[in-house]
Amino acid sequence: MKLLPHWVSRPALAALVAALAIGAVLPKVLGWSVYSQNQVTETLLFVAAALAWNWMGGYLGQVSFGHSAMFGLGGFISARLLLALHLPFWIAWIVGGLVAAGYALVWGHPTLRLRGPYFSIATIGVGEATRLVMTYWEDLTGGSSGLSLPITPGLKSELYWWALALMGAVIAGSYALRKSTLGLGLLAIKSDVDAAADVGISPTLMQDIVLLLSGFTVGVCGAFYASYQNFIEPGDMFGFDRSISFVLMAVIGGVGTIIGPAFGAVVFVMLRQYLIGSYPQLYLGIYGVLLIVVILFEPLGMMGLFFRIARRFGLLRPEVEATLEAKAAVGGAAADPGAREGGAP
Amino acid sequence: MQRFTELVVAAVLLAGLYATMAYGLGLIYGVLRVVNLNHGGIIMAGAYVGWLLHEKFGIDPYLSIPAVVAVSFVLGIAIYRGLVRHLPRGPAGAVQSLLLLFGVWLVLRNAAYLLFTGNDQTIRTEYSTRSVAAFGLALSVNRVAVFGIAVLTLVVLHLFLTRTFTGKAIRAVAQNADSCTLVGVDVERIYSLTFGIGTALAGLAGLLGASLFSFNPSYGSGDLLKSFVIVVLGGLGSVMGTAAAALILALVEVFAILALPSYLTGAVGFVLLVLVLVLRPGGLFGHRVLG
Repeated sequence: MKLLPHWVSRPALAALVAALAIGAVLPKVLGWSVYSQNQVTETLLFVAAALAWNWMGGYLGQVSFGHSAMFGLGGFISARLLLALHLPFWIAWIVGGLVAAGYALVWGHPTLRLRGPYFSIATIGVGEATRLVMTYWEDLTGGSSGLSLPITPGLKSELYWWALALMGAVIAGSYALRKSTLGLGLLAIKSDVDAAADVGISPTLMQDIVLLLSGFTVGVCGAFYASYQNFIEPGDMFGFDRSISFVLMAVIGGVGTIIGPAFGAVVFVMLRQYLIGSYPQLYLGIYGVLLIVVILFEPLGMMGLFFRIARRFGLLRPEVEATLEAKAAVGGAAADPGAREGGAP
Repeated sequence: MQRFTELVVAAVLLAGLYATMAYGLGLIYGVLRVVNLNHGGIIMAGAYVGWLLHEKFGIDPYLSIPAVVAVSFVLGIAIYRGLVRHLPRGPAGAVQSLLLLFGVWLVLRNAAYLLFTGNDQTIRTEYSTRSVAAFGLALSVNRVAVFGIAVLTLVVLHLFLTRTFTGKAIRAVAQNADSCTLVGVDVERIYSLTFGIGTALAGLAGLLGASLFSFNPSYGSGDLLKSFVIVVLGGLGSVMGTAAAALILALVEVFAILALPSYLTGAVGFVLLVLVLVLRPGGLFGHRVLG
């Protein structure tokens, strides 16, 4: 009897289970303080969010500057449910995620017909419009003064294990998305939409599926964040900075890979913690410089750096490297159909 | 009826400014196939340069136009030569240049916060509140002046692109860069010149905008999106198309005040952007922007 689809590699599965098991006992073994455990919780949460962004930005090659819309919507829907109905928090998270996914489909289905830069710019519009509307929709978001959630004693430390489970699920999901037939279809769409459609892949359907998954997961992350912070306000949840942070995590780590965005999120959360503590007036510029340096010198981010080192020591076979780079590249070959057809003024 | 005329005139006056800033974005995209996501940053920089000259040296904002244009032209050339040039051309570089220029924008914004704080600033002159009478309406002197300068700029630009050798070379490179190399056009020079002209227009738009509205370091993000709406709506390269699209956007924005609660008018531009991209990705006037 076959328990697993053929594309699941047993060593990879074992490694993930082992890593999660180690993660589960780590706080007790190392005797973390409340503060450090919370830091790790937040990091794990953003690893999940960065990977979910990467399903769109990396696998599909559609860079979204509007993911804060789903993050915020998930957060506020979940918070309202917790306040009004006193549901168990995980039910509220799932409902928040579903609403976020629905919203993603509403704006994403039409805009995903656009490729590359056009899609990115449309998402800036979506994100900003959502932020404006939400800031004034006081019945949902409490306006500029935000929402406070009921405080459950002990919840914050319990959330560590929930974050670990969420991240585990998202990593498994990323792996499945990459290796399954759907993942191969996405890679084809990223390389060339028209050619993919010619060989019987439905770009519309596949893009919608990825959009729903990404929106749902980011929505759940937003809902988790609301429970974790106990207080949320629209300026932070829906802010442009929030959207940028997802982009930065993935780009710093290495767009299109699984390990890349995960590491990128870890680096980003630590860096932000340090910068807000030491140089609060410089953090925007440092993100900018990071983005410039990464794009200019190593478009694959930390993963690219890793490839480079591995190549230096002869650890990477050329054909493996070629596939990896094709999967990871920022923006697909069809990112700008206008350039190919030379639609000149 | 009086109110209707007032709104239409207000929209027309605003459209001049919109067309100027959108033309800068469209020119760079048309020739280099690069979406200058730093457009908003340059607009903001132009506003601050004008403000600085007015505040520190007492130079009238309209007299500082050459200085602002020169500064943003040089800034654009520096960004092109130092950064954009090193990215792969064509499809692979499209998203990369987007992210790169976004990084430049973040850096510029941070620099503005450090230098000028995040407070709202305005350029106030003695004629800021004056108005002239025309069409039975009282028109702000500033708005009329901004409109005049914008129209003049577009006319000069149109003549430059159609009548001079360099202008023709720019249009030729937009059509086919490889053939230009064959007939001896220095394509790389044209690219950096075009980028410079595009950012100079953004800087000018920033200065003109600053004499009408208050601004802070995040000023320009709305203008980037508006420029993009206009470019997509009006198509590339045509001054008339750009002007018509700018007028449409300005009319929609101005009349939205009548129909929508005031806090939602800010979202109109964004919604229009998405609608235009989805419904008319080829532009209204036939010049296809998208493939």
